[in-house]
Amino acid sequence: MIDIVFYVFAIFTIGSALAVVSLRNTAKALFLFFFVLFGMAGLFIFALADFVAITQIMVYVGGVLILMIFAFMLSNKELLASIQDNSSRLFTLPNWQSLIVVLGFFLLLSFAITDWLATTPNWISANQKTQAILQPTDNNIEQLGFRFMTKYLLPFEVISIFLLAALIGAAHLSRKEVED
Amino acid sequence: MDNLILNILTPLIIFAFIALFTLFAVYAERKIAGFVQDRLGPMETGKFGLLQTFADILKLLQKEFISPRAADRLLFALAPIVIFVAVFIGYSVMPWSPGLIPAQTHTGLFFIMAVVSIDAIGILMAGWGSNNKYSLLGAIRAISQMISYEIPIGLSLIAAVMISQTLDLSLIATNQGIEAQTDIFFLGIWQVNEIGGFLAWNIFQAPHLLIAYVIFFIASLAECNRAPFDIPEAESELIGGFHTEYGGIRFAFIFLAEYAMMFLVAMLGTVIFLGGWNTPLPNIGGLPLAHWTSGIIWGIFWTLSKSLFIVAVQIWIRWTLPRFRADQLMALCWKVLIPLAFVTMAISGLWRILVMI
Repeated sequence: MIDIVFYVFAIFTIGSALAVVSLRNTAKALFLFFFVLFGMAGLFIFALADFVAITQIMVYVGGVLILMIFAFMLSNKELLASIQDNSSRLFTLPNWQSLIVVLGFFLLLSFAITDWLATTPNWISANQKTQAILQPTDNNIEQLGFRFMTKYLLPFEVISIFLLAALIGAAHLSRKEVED
Repeated sequence: MDNLILNILTPLIIFAFIALFTLFAVYAERKIAGFVQDRLGPMETGKFGLLQTFADILKLLQKEFISPRAADRLLFALAPIVIFVAVFIGYSVMPWSPGLIPAQTHTGLFFIMAVVSIDAIGILMAGWGSNNKYSLLGAIRAISQMISYEIPIGLSLIAAVMISQTLDLSLIATNQGIEAQTDIFFLGIWQVNEIGGFLAWNIFQAPHLLIAYVIFFIASLAECNRAPFDIPEAESELIGGFHTEYGGIRFAFIFLAEYAMMFLVAMLGTVIFLGGWNTPLPNIGGLPLAHWTSGIIWGIFWTLSKSLFIVAVQIWIRWTLPRFRADQLMALCWKVLIPLAFVTMAISGLWRILVMI
């Protein structure tokens, strides 16, 4: 049952991702991107990363995607038309180059997976022996909070300052220029 | 197998509840509007006009599907579904009574905040798909408003969560009554684990949460696009806003989502700030009122009555206050509500360090 749900999510996500990159209609592609993100969130839940899944929806669907659609709606029609017409040339590589990139990435992934399956890292097998495994009913979010405030405090604070800088920068950019 | 049946039954019951609630909320809306404007409201259909909304819904269901010729068919048809489902999923983690919660998760509150933001995508779909300038303007107004007001909502909820130390909605509700699993204090000084009642509610456990609740309530009005924050569908300017082109059952779903959202935010405020299913009556000496009025049935009763009261206040405000202008709306959010919410959040932190430990 769970396997079926997983594959449904996976096919759904990959299918809509393929449609996003191949659709000519930018507006539709953007709305379809919502389904990709939603499917991704579902896949994160299968990895027991419920916090990441919800953050994905919150940040990407609730923030980034809406900003993208907004930018799309508020931009000039001719500019959009030029993007739509040359979508295979302007931002993407020529076909044969992208094929090489994709193949290389696929090889890397399959190599990593086979390598991983052949030799399980020591810490994983050690944890499996002592039953120190995450259960679906565990309170991940509490663990995450403790880690953020202890072991990973510095990166956490650096990110928060970075975000604050971005906020101040956005406020500064959107300000009306003072006439001299 | 039992589980499967239960899993199918629960959404059906919630859907039936939302439909029933909408029917009567629309009736209440008209009656309260009538009362505020010193007239009778619907009186013709049924006794006291009670069947008016049934007649309306029958009319809506009979109508033909009409899509404008220039509309984006797919987005146009999909938008009401996305809007309704976004709100509907939110109900999946709302606790009704001790142990009576569709899905108990450790991240309930965060989940609701994330899921409700999907609503915005549905509104954008409706506005863009209709291919109508009024719809598009309405959608853009709706989004700018919803995104801005999500910030004070989030901050005021964080202020409350810092006090209750969990995102699990049923645990938050439990910790505001006689069954609390931690020591709870009225105003941070008087232990009320035994007394319960309204003294144990979050807004009285830490008094600054009262301000947080007011912020939450104002921002939640904006989140539901209700007056005085109804510029997305301002009839006098935009005809009908993002749902101008909708009719029949599609419009019914947008309407249903709007009322479902009203109840959802009312219930969320109840659970986070107003004690959830816990009774407002405290134990007074030999008179254990709180023990008498607790339990599963009482829990549902208290959740419902508190939430319906909040909905009534929402309706009352809608018919009392005039509509905000767009710039006033943004100024209220960014210059008043957000700084205030930050202050309540900071007080929560200090409260945690200085008073609760």
